[in-house]
Amino acid sequence: MTHIDPGLTGAQMTLSSEEHRRLAKRYRRRTTLTAYAFLGPNLVAFVVFLLIPVVWLLVSTFRTGGVLGPAEFVGLDNWRDTFSDPLARTSIRNTVLYSAMAIPAVFIIAMILALALHAIPRGGAPIRVALYLPTLQPAVVAAFIFTFVLHPDFGVINYAVRWLGGDPINFLGDTTLALPTIAGIEVWRGTGFWTMMFLAGLTALPGELYHAAELDGAGAIRRFIRLTLPLLRPTFYFAVIFATIVNLQLFDSVFALTDGGPVNSTVSVSLYIYRSLFLFGDIGFGATLSFLLVITVLLLTGLQTYLLRDRK
Amino acid sequence: MFSSNSNRQPSSGRLWRVIAVILACALVAAACGNDDDSDGASVPGAPEAGDSSDDISTPAPTAEPGPELSGTIGFIKGPHSAMEVEFNDQIIADFNAQVAPDVEVEFSTYDWPVHVAELTTLFASGSPPDVQYLVDLIYPAFAEQGVLHDMTDLVNDPDWAEERANISPFAWDLAEQQGGTWGVPVLGAVYNIFINETLLEEAGLLDSWDDSYESMLAAAEALTTDEVFGFGARTSAADFAWWDWYPYIHNAGGDVLSDDWTECGLVGPDVVDAMQFLIDIHTAGVTPAIGSVDNQGLFDLFAAGRIAILHHETPNIVALNENPPDFEWTVAAAPPGPQGHTVMGNFGILSIAEASDNKEAAWEFIKHWASAPQVGRFAEQVSLQVVRTDILDDLFADNPAMQRVQSEMVPRVQGLQPSPHIIEALQAAWPVVEDAFRGNRTGEEAIAGMCEAIDGVLAG
Repeated sequence: MTHIDPGLTGAQMTLSSEEHRRLAKRYRRRTTLTAYAFLGPNLVAFVVFLLIPVVWLLVSTFRTGGVLGPAEFVGLDNWRDTFSDPLARTSIRNTVLYSAMAIPAVFIIAMILALALHAIPRGGAPIRVALYLPTLQPAVVAAFIFTFVLHPDFGVINYAVRWLGGDPINFLGDTTLALPTIAGIEVWRGTGFWTMMFLAGLTALPGELYHAAELDGAGAIRRFIRLTLPLLRPTFYFAVIFATIVNLQLFDSVFALTDGGPVNSTVSVSLYIYRSLFLFGDIGFGATLSFLLVITVLLLTGLQTYLLRDRK
Repeated sequence: MFSSNSNRQPSSGRLWRVIAVILACALVAAACGNDDDSDGASVPGAPEAGDSSDDISTPAPTAEPGPELSGTIGFIKGPHSAMEVEFNDQIIADFNAQVAPDVEVEFSTYDWPVHVAELTTLFASGSPPDVQYLVDLIYPAFAEQGVLHDMTDLVNDPDWAEERANISPFAWDLAEQQGGTWGVPVLGAVYNIFINETLLEEAGLLDSWDDSYESMLAAAEALTTDEVFGFGARTSAADFAWWDWYPYIHNAGGDVLSDDWTECGLVGPDVVDAMQFLIDIHTAGVTPAIGSVDNQGLFDLFAAGRIAILHHETPNIVALNENPPDFEWTVAAAPPGPQGHTVMGNFGILSIAEASDNKEAAWEFIKHWASAPQVGRFAEQVSLQVVRTDILDDLFADNPAMQRVQSEMVPRVQGLQPSPHIIEALQAAWPVVEDAFRGNRTGEEAIAGMCEAIDGVLAG
């Protein structure tokens, strides 16, 4: 520590450039060490629970076995099998299709609800609670609930359809309807979460800009397009990336509702990974699919980061 | 102080002794109560839990106590009843009373829909339960991966020869694969048909509906109304729908794999015809919409009188006996085919984990579980079939449906091929069947598609 003599004049108090560099260096080192000390536990967890497993996953893509029996090096066989396996392609297509249906749908519905809630000056809390409740339901509970909604015999929707004179709709047994139905159920579960997310974003927007725009004669739609959407860019940035990561890992609702059927129309990548690893004991193949999923999520996240970057 | 303490100590000791005596009495009472609370099923000769071996009329080969046995063994099994734990506790209590008082058996259950994953995880952990109940659909893959103990020497022990001889040879065939014996066959599950006799009788079809495939389809069509489906069978892989599909293929001389298990065994015109029949009956408008009702839902519809002819499983006989529907019902087999009249069944074996460090106790426990009194009582409790031949006459005395299953259907059982790849082959091929049942493929196209998937699995 440098001690300053109180009797020194201003000129005498000026540090030499060498001493300044030394102190600056010491300060930087101390702040850096402090930062690492705080980051340390998280870095350790990152390395132990993410980096090493991902590297191990990559290694497993070149091997077979290794869980119940010894591992054996098989070169690129697993990669060849993955790209030539029709069910792997089907699972990728289903997952992408599902994400393409579920993400825009949940965002649009959540945004409409958030705008509506934002417009309610008082008494919105019960509505917010009601909207958020589906998000709290585990997939199994949601599956059970939707049995009473979708069942061809006693489901509410089909009861109404029959009452109106129509034929019951086989929501989960029809190959063309099963995936959109699962997407619909996931939208129902996710709407509350994203509504709250967008509502928080809307609440944080500066009100004076809206007043100014209103004084300038901008209508509600114009204000939404010109002000709200651009100002919500950081919220959208997080939302798109997070929703993509979550939806590409679709598993629980498919597992609980259709187990990938009918005719593989709802097999997701995660479900196929699960089957390969735990049902068929095909560790190398499952690891390869898993690694592909990780890479896909990383690439999509990078792409979204680029597209949604702040173009000041 | 001293006197105070010295007065308190004996008092405290007496108190604990009194508490211990009360607890012991309560436990004894609870044990007796459990016996009374069991479902009342009993095999002649079967002991109640805790009875001495003197009461066993059917000699239990494991009744001779194993004095050196001690320690803890784990036992895991899929549930065949909501009272699975209670039923196994009876078996374990008898084991402790008659065979090995110092061996603690820790019983747990796995969940059928995910049991392969659960067992894989347990084996991968390196410390799986010592004893597992494994079905023929999955054990070959575990045997191939070296996690099961080869029990050849154990089951060929001359001291156990008489017991071994009491188990049907076909059951041993299912347990002996890949040059080893991977367990002791204990139970079988027959996949039967339930029929609503009242509906069939009213339609004048009770005696003719199962003469042939055509007569079954005609009966299903005749019985279908706005409220009733003439026919029902499982259609999704999640419900193990292949159990209902197998008998028609076996009756046509086909199987999933060829005789040497190296290629698809779904060959020949009879197999194509059988597949076409199944497609026809699923597209004739006599079933619930394909994929709309799950396993339990189908049975519930039958119990409600809304399905006339239903493929299902014998454990549901318990449900029908306990809650009789307002119609007459019975069990039946699928009609005969051009090359046979088989019934589908799969079987369970009791295996020992290779990683078990108490194989001796595990083997004693398996011998006890597989003994006539124990397995017979359990089979009656859960309405499953036994593979022992020496207790058939005494079983299911008060259960005519199970008597019929055991006497008429079990002898016709043709099980699956216990190949390590059988479950993957079935999983890979089944979506083709699902597609065909929706009317998108002919029988020929379906068989070709299935064989493509099966050969793909076998090619690795």
